Amino acid sequence: MRNPDCSAVIDSRRSRGFSRRSFLAASGAGALALAGCGTGFELQRGDGTASREGRLSFTLWAGDAELTAFTTVAEEWSRTSGIPVVFNVVPFGEALTGIDAGLASSRAPDLFRVTYQDIGIYAAGDALLDLTDLLPSGFVDGFGPAFVSAVQSEGRVYGVPHHTDTSLVLYDTEALAGARIPESLDDAWTWEEFGSIARSLPTGEVQFAFGVNWQLAGAYRWLNWVDQLGGRLLTEDLTGPAIDSRAGRDALAFTQSFFADGLVPRTTSTKGAYVDELFTAGTIAMVFAGDFLLPTIDPAFLSAGREYGATFLPRDERASADLGGNAVVATSQSKNPEAAADFLAYLSGDEAQALFCAQATVLPTRTALLDQQLDYAVRPDLMELFVQQATTITPELSAQVTVPQFNAVNASMVDRLEQAFLSGDDPAGVLADLSDDIAGRLS
Amino acid sequence: MTTTAPAAVTAPLPEDDEEQRPTRKRRGAWKDSAAAWAMLSPNLLVFGLFLLLPLLATFWLSLYSSSGFGPREFIGFENYSELFGDDTFWRATLNTGVYALLTVPVSLVLGLGVALAINRPMRGRGLLRGIYYVPYVISGVVIAVAGRWVFNENVGVVNRLLRGAGLDGVPWQSDGVGAMASLVLISVWTKIGFCMVVYLAGLQSIPTEYLEAAQMDGAGRWTRLRHVIVPLLKPTTVFLVVLGVIESFQVFDIVYVLTGGGPGNATEMLVTYAYAEGFDARRQGYAATIGVVTYLLIAVLTALWWRRQKATEADQ
Repeated sequence: MRNPDCSAVIDSRRSRGFSRRSFLAASGAGALALAGCGTGFELQRGDGTASREGRLSFTLWAGDAELTAFTTVAEEWSRTSGIPVVFNVVPFGEALTGIDAGLASSRAPDLFRVTYQDIGIYAAGDALLDLTDLLPSGFVDGFGPAFVSAVQSEGRVYGVPHHTDTSLVLYDTEALAGARIPESLDDAWTWEEFGSIARSLPTGEVQFAFGVNWQLAGAYRWLNWVDQLGGRLLTEDLTGPAIDSRAGRDALAFTQSFFADGLVPRTTSTKGAYVDELFTAGTIAMVFAGDFLLPTIDPAFLSAGREYGATFLPRDERASADLGGNAVVATSQSKNPEAAADFLAYLSGDEAQALFCAQATVLPTRTALLDQQLDYAVRPDLMELFVQQATTITPELSAQVTVPQFNAVNASMVDRLEQAFLSGDDPAGVLADLSDDIAGRLS
Repeated sequence: MTTTAPAAVTAPLPEDDEEQRPTRKRRGAWKDSAAAWAMLSPNLLVFGLFLLLPLLATFWLSLYSSSGFGPREFIGFENYSELFGDDTFWRATLNTGVYALLTVPVSLVLGLGVALAINRPMRGRGLLRGIYYVPYVISGVVIAVAGRWVFNENVGVVNRLLRGAGLDGVPWQSDGVGAMASLVLISVWTKIGFCMVVYLAGLQSIPTEYLEAAQMDGAGRWTRLRHVIVPLLKPTTVFLVVLGVIESFQVFDIVYVLTGGGPGNATEMLVTYAYAEGFDARRQGYAATIGVVTYLLIAVLTALWWRRQKATEADQ
């Protein structure tokens, strides 16, 4: 005996023509259709990120001027080689995360842009193409020794030093009106003179003397101060910490005084906000800034009707500067190793590098270009000073900040310096803790 | 109509039907089971591929020293022993707990307040609901960038207003308490809308008879809220607390953009610390260890909360 209610339900389902069976059939068809989309994923594999025969894929971060310069150079190389270069432009913060994912999934690009501080870990992880025998003979000798040191690991070359940048002290002309402005590296401010000038500037709740650019993983720039006193972060064989020294303690005590004396905003510690905006806003009268910031700073001052100048970094026993800028490397997964090496040689050759540096307002690494007047797009008068300051980047300091474990060491420096600057902890204790961290990171 | 169904069930079946019945039942059960599995399988596949497998892979990675590529070294539980002696990890755990303790109750109370305020016929109710809900659906990064503009210690909106009124600015970035306060304020602002929507649904499911009866017994607004509405909203509150705590333990974008975990480690959270170790220090094995411990922490907290709730409900 059938339940009339049930039969009514069944009938109504039939009348709609959609039974459980048909639902399952439709689901199966849908699954097959989705499986068919596999070809779509295949198509995406070659969308500019992974290495593929017959072209070079290049992952990089770049501002507008930089990208234009990269494109110009790549087009010229492609005309002679017949091999296209496909750019994959990503934000700076995501670039290396994407590269790591590509390497882990065997879908890395042929080429990528990398900071000097990051090369070591990729070289140690066998992720980079060994260019030693692929670059033209003697080509590497054309770079400054500090830059060669930065792209080498255990005597092998893993990239080309594409450009560098370093810091100078930019100052508001009106605020520094009565102060002596050094005009050569040899008569740069001593630490005492710099401190004296900074203390003479008006400070208040929203007005400070200066800001230092050690934020955004830039804690390694603090090492300039240590280097100026002849100190080191790592031992000469680069296997242990050497920062807990007289030079380290003196450098830390001096830089701590910036915060203790209210000369810099407390928000500009190593975990704080970047400082160039405070300079353009008039919150600080001087800023330690890289040359690559001139295209941002210059229009802000122009539009406000203000003027600014630049002078060399303060010095103590000797002058020193931070190793900024980027290299370009090829990955060991590249399907076009010879073409990649050829492109890298072209990209970092004298002619292409001169063009790139002039357009992007960055400094050359080729020794042949150091004495040349490049046609810089922004403030060429100040760029000459940056070029001079870059000559104080030492191979010894470069070697220390490019060890494979430097990311981890730098992360410890960020934490320990932040603590020291904001809490005013005893320099000896801070550096002892930092030494323990470094020993652990290096091991 | 309904009387016919029991008759059909209780009516004696012919003998041959008696014999065929277990086979048919088994076949029917198998068909039902197959259909159920077929319908569940897409979800199970997604769950397995995108949740279970990464979870197991994360645990596996936590047993290695790895930069994320290149050779990796099996080190057993060394990462775990290092983690338990790591001051920054404990500080991050404490910070995450404090953040959860501050944001969850405040969001709930304010969300309930707003829900009660607009749970009545009024002009512009839909618009108000939308205005409160908008922050919840905006990207956390966008919220945090706006937060930097508002809470910048030197040139931010809040401090400019305070200074304009002749008061001192608040050290939102250079002081740990100020930085945590800015995070909590922004987070609460984003969460109120979600709590409000869920509480509104809860309020609308409360039978009006209960409230009318309480009113007839002389209960005032506050008494009705305290003794009728809040107890009846308990399942909603439990849901929001569990969800809020889980969300608090996963907070990343707002902290990463607004304070970067600073000053010092004052606002370092478990997830931001895992990110810093994994992608800044390139210690992905150690970062995976932080992830595993965070997962276990959330699982234990959630289980304890559910158990307590069940016990309370059983007592009632």
